[in-house]
Amino acid sequence: MSLVPASLGPIRPAFLTRVTPAARLIAGLTWLVAAIVTLDPIVPVRLTLAAVAALVLWSGLPLRRIPRRMAPLGFAILSLTFFSIVLAASNADRSLAAVLEIGPVRITAPAVSAGLAIGLRVVVIGLTTLLVFGPSDPTRMADSLVQQWHVPDRFAYGTLGAMRVAPFMADDWAVIGAARHLRGIGAGSPASRIRDAADRLVVMLVAAIRGAERLALAMDARGFDSGVRRSHFRELRVTWRDWLTVGVAVGVAVAAVALPR
Amino acid sequence: MTESAGPERLASPAPAIEADGLGWTYAGRSRPALAGLTFRLEPGRTLLVLGPSGSGKSTLARALAGLVPHTLPGTWQGRLRVGDMDVETTPARFLGERVGLVFQDPDCQLVMARVDDEVAFGLENRGWPRAQMEARVPEALAQVGLGGFDLRATATLSGGEKQRLAIADVLAARPSLIVLDEPTANLDPPGMFDTLEQLAVLARRREHTIVLIEHRLEAALPMADDVLLIDDEGRQLTFAPADSVGRRAVSLLRRSGAWVPSAWSGADVPSAGVESAAAAIASRPDRRPEQVLLQAVNLTLDYPSDESGTHRALDGVSLEARSGERIAVVGPNGAGKSTLLFVLCGLRRPTRGRVGLRSIAGTGGTGDGGTGEELRDPSRLRAGEIASRIGLVFQDPELGFVARTARDEVAATELAARTGRGRPLPPPDSDGVLARFGLGEPTFGLDRRGTEAVMTLLDELRATGQAQLLATHDPRLLPHCDRVVAMDRGRVVFDGSPERFLAEPPYSPAEPWRSGTGSTAGPAAAAGAAAGAEVPR
Repeated sequence: MSLVPASLGPIRPAFLTRVTPAARLIAGLTWLVAAIVTLDPIVPVRLTLAAVAALVLWSGLPLRRIPRRMAPLGFAILSLTFFSIVLAASNADRSLAAVLEIGPVRITAPAVSAGLAIGLRVVVIGLTTLLVFGPSDPTRMADSLVQQWHVPDRFAYGTLGAMRVAPFMADDWAVIGAARHLRGIGAGSPASRIRDAADRLVVMLVAAIRGAERLALAMDARGFDSGVRRSHFRELRVTWRDWLTVGVAVGVAVAAVALPR
Repeated sequence: MTESAGPERLASPAPAIEADGLGWTYAGRSRPALAGLTFRLEPGRTLLVLGPSGSGKSTLARALAGLVPHTLPGTWQGRLRVGDMDVETTPARFLGERVGLVFQDPDCQLVMARVDDEVAFGLENRGWPRAQMEARVPEALAQVGLGGFDLRATATLSGGEKQRLAIADVLAARPSLIVLDEPTANLDPPGMFDTLEQLAVLARRREHTIVLIEHRLEAALPMADDVLLIDDEGRQLTFAPADSVGRRAVSLLRRSGAWVPSAWSGADVPSAGVESAAAAIASRPDRRPEQVLLQAVNLTLDYPSDESGTHRALDGVSLEARSGERIAVVGPNGAGKSTLLFVLCGLRRPTRGRVGLRSIAGTGGTGDGGTGEELRDPSRLRAGEIASRIGLVFQDPELGFVARTARDEVAATELAARTGRGRPLPPPDSDGVLARFGLGEPTFGLDRRGTEAVMTLLDELRATGQAQLLATHDPRLLPHCDRVVAMDRGRVVFDGSPERFLAEPPYSPAEPWRSGTGSTAGPAAAAGAAAGAEVPR
């Protein structure tokens, strides 16, 4: 979970941190819909600009840390865009003029456009996710879903507990790999490497299930989901900020799609 | 605070716990986890439960909280009352309002990301009104010395702080009974000290009845009013006031394989195995190690980190291990012990410095001679070549381990066989037993019998010329090592004999590092805690 703010560091109080997570979720969804229903690169470009503006001006997130955290996603976006362009069907169409030709590789303008559209959409998805989940910790998101949308406690807080334990799985994975490496297991042919990874996965899942069982037992011991109606330590109230956020987000989404391209 | 509820509870004529022929068999097991427990514990008293690993101590803790029989499947026998509630017939949620349960592993019982949310979680589940929660959360935190921690991320707390937070979690709901299932087993010495000290304060207040399951008896015994002894079949050996148990319990404990507190095993009781530091030091073979098997020179390792750019995990560490030498690597959590062992095994490359390994003369497993072999850099060795030079035994939950130069698999299998693999499956979640199964690590969570089995195996392996590095939190093991290397914040702050380390631990405060050695320091420290003379804070 590279998007949770715990890994980004402290959040400054800002406009979006005072908006309830459920409102941010609705606002974000309108942008995702706008980005997905269109096929050209113009709409995602507009939404990207809007998202960057919101991130810088209203999110309160520590901006300097974002590039490193998003690096894996950035790499995925670049390779996705590259292959979409190179492998596009329109490149084979001899009636279209080539923008670029290197040996057997021929790239046409529609291919570039379609490739950019795909890559930029993933950019929009990434930035929007950051805007939705970034400005408050996951606990607030669970609170908001339970209080405002009446999502079942068991689902919301159960997921929350699982998210907190998830990083330990990464540690287990590394330890299992180290133990096997030191005993000379896992080196060699690609087939044996795959077998090795499968074995490691089984060991890790067993450890994860054990951890999950203990967490569940600890939650049960503290009266979780015992039939008593749960109260809330932090009450979330819908304010004018929520309405403004959703309103502006819808406006931006509509404008991004409807304005002449 | 708790005044409103406290006196009323103390005045109640009913015992806090009353067990009458209590037995439990987990579904699918033929052997009962608990059988025939019969005792009465009066309100406000502290009960210490002793028994070897797998003896059903955790099962008793679960029964008191109603998880057995209401959450876990199995067969119930006899009767157990907590206050005026019959556990078998009372829904778990009513029991949950009276009973707080603290588990062993701090990372598997904290649910929320922030400290105040974490304390409030149990109150929310019980439907407390918000205003009361807002008043109660800071109170409960202050009670365990975590006042002002409200907004901290739980992930940034130390092990001891996490465990104190877990205690605050249960205190918040004002339970009449608090059950702690080996709350210090996963902690480093300062964390353990911290947690037990907090418990001693709680026990002295007598506002709660406390049931404590604990391996570290030196510190736990002085705060106990009563002691319950269980054998490894889950049967009750004795239940008696702590001050009257004394000697009589020693033979029972010994037979059962649990740790014996040194306060009980006086001079006329022959101390055996890992209990007696003096005996261990006297029996340590006086050998002169010759061949250097492992050499680390000026190791420095920097991790990239968000805060300051880099975090220095190792800072100029130099270390040599010779044939037949056993070295304890100690230090608080985060001191760099695990990182050091990873680097020594070639699993991480140091930023600066170098590591050299060679196999024991004449036993090189890869057929490249062995005798007079040069020191080789482990990170350049192929996987098959490493195994003859160094092995690493991991400890499942906490990454403590043994590194040694021998064929790992053979030793691991042997270890498992010797420490009771042939025995019936352990009850779920019994870490002591699981560590024995899964070649976890030296002695984490093991009872005396398990620890002795591991140490005996290590002795035999050492006699073949192995060098052994032992990352450990257990001061009782130090006298069995030739040298102690103490680390703090990535540096080696001490390298010398165990006697010198125990006399003058290079840490501040030093007390946690001394206790439990079986020397006079242990009981003395424990007595201080019991009398409540001074609680440094």
